[in-house]
Amino acid sequence: MSDATLTKKTEPKPEEFTNNEYEAGFVTDIDSDTLPPGLNEDVIRHISAKKDEPEWLLNWRLEAFRHWLTMSEPHWAHVQYDKIDFQSISYYSAPKSQEDGPKSLDEIDPKLLETYEKLGIPLREQEFLAGVAVDAVFDSVSVATTFKGKLKDAGVIFCPISEAVRDYPELVQQYLGSVVPSGDNFYAALNSAVFTDGSFVYIPKGVRCPMELSTYFRINALNTGQFERTLIIADEGAYVSYLEGCTAPQRDENQLHAAVVELVLLDDAQIKYATVQNWYPGDENGLGGIYNFVTKRADCRGPRSKVSWTQVETGSAITWKYPSCVLRGDDSVGEFYSVALTKMRQEADTGTKMIHIGKNTKSTIVSKGIAAGHGQQAYRGLVRIGKNADGARNFTQCDSLLIGDTCGAHTFPYVEVKNPTATMEHEATTSKIGEDQLFYCRQRGISEEDAVNMIVNGFCKDVFNELPMEFAVEANRLMEVSLEGAVG
Amino acid sequence: MSDLTLNIASLPGNVGVQAQRSQAADICARTGLPGKRDEDWKYTDISRLTATLGDAWWLTAPTAINSDATSLATIDDLDAYRLVFIAGQFQPEQSNLPDGVQLRPLSELLQNDTDDSAHCLFKLDESAPLFNGLLAANSALASDGLCACIGDGIKLDKPLYAVHVGNSTAHTLNGLMLGKGAEATLIEHFIGTDSDQAGLSNIATYLRLGDNAALTHYRLQLESDKQFHVGRVEVKQARDSRYTLHAVELGGSLSRADIVVNLAEPGASCALNGLFVASGRQHIDHHTRIDHNAPHCCSRENYRTVLDGRAHAVFNGKIVVAEGAVKTDSAQSNGNLLLSKHAEIDTKPELEIYNDDVKCAHGVTVGQLDKNQLFYLKSRGLSEDEARQLLTVAFADEILVAMDIKAVRSFIEKEAFSKLPNLGDLEGVLG
Repeated sequence: MSDATLTKKTEPKPEEFTNNEYEAGFVTDIDSDTLPPGLNEDVIRHISAKKDEPEWLLNWRLEAFRHWLTMSEPHWAHVQYDKIDFQSISYYSAPKSQEDGPKSLDEIDPKLLETYEKLGIPLREQEFLAGVAVDAVFDSVSVATTFKGKLKDAGVIFCPISEAVRDYPELVQQYLGSVVPSGDNFYAALNSAVFTDGSFVYIPKGVRCPMELSTYFRINALNTGQFERTLIIADEGAYVSYLEGCTAPQRDENQLHAAVVELVLLDDAQIKYATVQNWYPGDENGLGGIYNFVTKRADCRGPRSKVSWTQVETGSAITWKYPSCVLRGDDSVGEFYSVALTKMRQEADTGTKMIHIGKNTKSTIVSKGIAAGHGQQAYRGLVRIGKNADGARNFTQCDSLLIGDTCGAHTFPYVEVKNPTATMEHEATTSKIGEDQLFYCRQRGISEEDAVNMIVNGFCKDVFNELPMEFAVEANRLMEVSLEGAVG
Repeated sequence: MSDLTLNIASLPGNVGVQAQRSQAADICARTGLPGKRDEDWKYTDISRLTATLGDAWWLTAPTAINSDATSLATIDDLDAYRLVFIAGQFQPEQSNLPDGVQLRPLSELLQNDTDDSAHCLFKLDESAPLFNGLLAANSALASDGLCACIGDGIKLDKPLYAVHVGNSTAHTLNGLMLGKGAEATLIEHFIGTDSDQAGLSNIATYLRLGDNAALTHYRLQLESDKQFHVGRVEVKQARDSRYTLHAVELGGSLSRADIVVNLAEPGASCALNGLFVASGRQHIDHHTRIDHNAPHCCSRENYRTVLDGRAHAVFNGKIVVAEGAVKTDSAQSNGNLLLSKHAEIDTKPELEIYNDDVKCAHGVTVGQLDKNQLFYLKSRGLSEDEARQLLTVAFADEILVAMDIKAVRSFIEKEAFSKLPNLGDLEGVLG
């Protein structure tokens, strides 16, 4: 017994584990072609001209901007932050060497490649080893797209959205804004007006995408909000798995990120969309960090289509997003698996919306929230079962794990049912890491730090199981880095 | 809204109360009725009230009701101290009050308010959870209700049974205070007499429980078809006190109740049980909020809803655990049974937790009768109707069995299931 007490004394304090410095905190010194801060119609015209966009897109942007001016900033989320001055943000920033348009990796600014290597994303290695095509976004312009040839053979289009506007205007025009209309919400309208880049994916009829598609986002230039726009279309019977991952350099100024992701699923199509988000969370006093206000929505238009959102949210000062599924087609399926971690002064208000419209639609929600330090964690979800959604089925499970007595975990589930044949279940629990669980592990010679990791990993397992292999490994490591040794 | 102020002058109360009344009238004029953009009223459209009763919805119109309590559909075989309010006015000749307990109608208290004890009942806190203009109207206009103070250590031998009768608009204000170790049962029963007339029953009930006090509260809403019912129950609990609510919603056209419980001191516990049985175009809405403000408090919540016809029910259960409220134990469950294609349920069980040493869980289910269970019963020789009846009764029974006064329980059982077309004849089922 006295031995145990002695060991206890030599153990480092929990704070020493939790307050790991942000590992990806560095700034790449690159000459950016950046617009001065501010937002008006001229800025939008400039962005549009810079991108060589057709008339209809410029008009679409301007319409979104005019609508945005009439909207007021929403404040209903359970998060607190200083007011954002939208006029102090620069809305365009592109690495200069982009002007010439790199044809291959060799032409890319070596400093960019260096950045990716620091982050452990060796593009070239991935090309051969991982079999993953990477559309790496550095600031707001895509600088490298690999594996294009192989994808082209399969008929898959995977390119920066600006390129898609140029090369496949009819596809973009047909689907852009059809899932998230330009006036959908405050941040979606802003994104529609000023989005600079993002990814475009089209999987033709009956094609199973031969590899997992991946985009690594990275915010770099000072004061540049990122406004990504991702549009993925899975045609009849198509399948694609898409990965999105993020890191950002350390900085003391809050940066706004308001992305829009639109997924379109036609008959029998399937999309798996996985995110690992590890942007700079700010320091332990809540200074700096990314504001992550994202609109993500999938529209299951065809019968028997299936969409699955998986997210691991460990970064950002504020995370505010609800990846949603509109289950329009009969027998369509929506899934949402989420792990969100807030520590230090981080805040997260995240969850999902499942809108059941078609008959026999099914949805599953598994949300795991972990709050440590002064972190605030909220699950906010909507399950709406419409009048005609006969036989609709929903299962919701949202669990919170609290570590420390200064954090908070909140649950706001909205359930609206208008059909008697629907079945819906919602469960939520809140707990802390049990002292007996810790004791059991310690007793068997596992250090406190490893024990906490094991318990947290066990808590998140349902979600990590849904991630593609290489992401699951990364997610596990992320949780370890972020949460080492926090003691209940 | 200015004429609301004019109405106040004729109402009873000393100078202090009158000042509070006009303050409440100002608040009511300023805030008005809650709108659909108000998050707490997202699913309940109170504009039906003004559409039916006009802009002066708060106006009390006393109607002559020539019924005496014996002819009313009250719980007959209940041995209790009875207080009868008709159209919001206390009826002394139909009531019998216990001796040795400070219990009197609010109207009497307001007339002889020597020690200014009515003051606290009229106090409004605009920052209180779920505060709205209807509550302000209640403070401005209430002239009667039940006021009781049950002294330390007193255990009432019989329940207090308050019957509120009428289809007119009435603002009723109740206050019940339990001293240290006191125990009591309060039954509030709302009934209508005339199903064609519409009015607003605006009821506020303030309950204070002293150390180790125990209160069982039945709130039975059986208003007539066209009546609007808006209620607020505010409970503040001291150390180790115990509060149990049985809320039953059967009547009314639109009924809304806000149940606000403050577990203010260590060891306090509360249990909220709710049963809604609605049909036709009824709209029933309960917003409950339990604040765990002290360590070692316990809360239990269990709501069951059975909906038929075009009924629409709303349940919002919020539990807030404050930073210092360690060793909190809280569980919430909400089950909903939809019997018809046009019924709608909107439910939102919320948790807000600000410390890690808690045990909180909530669960919601929505569904129809289980096909396998129906098949099982039918395979045992029950008809389809009987099987459906039995399963519906079993679903609601979880709330009913918790009622420990048998007379109330069987009364509610009868009233609840006679509402549903297939469940009219219970005799065969319950045997």
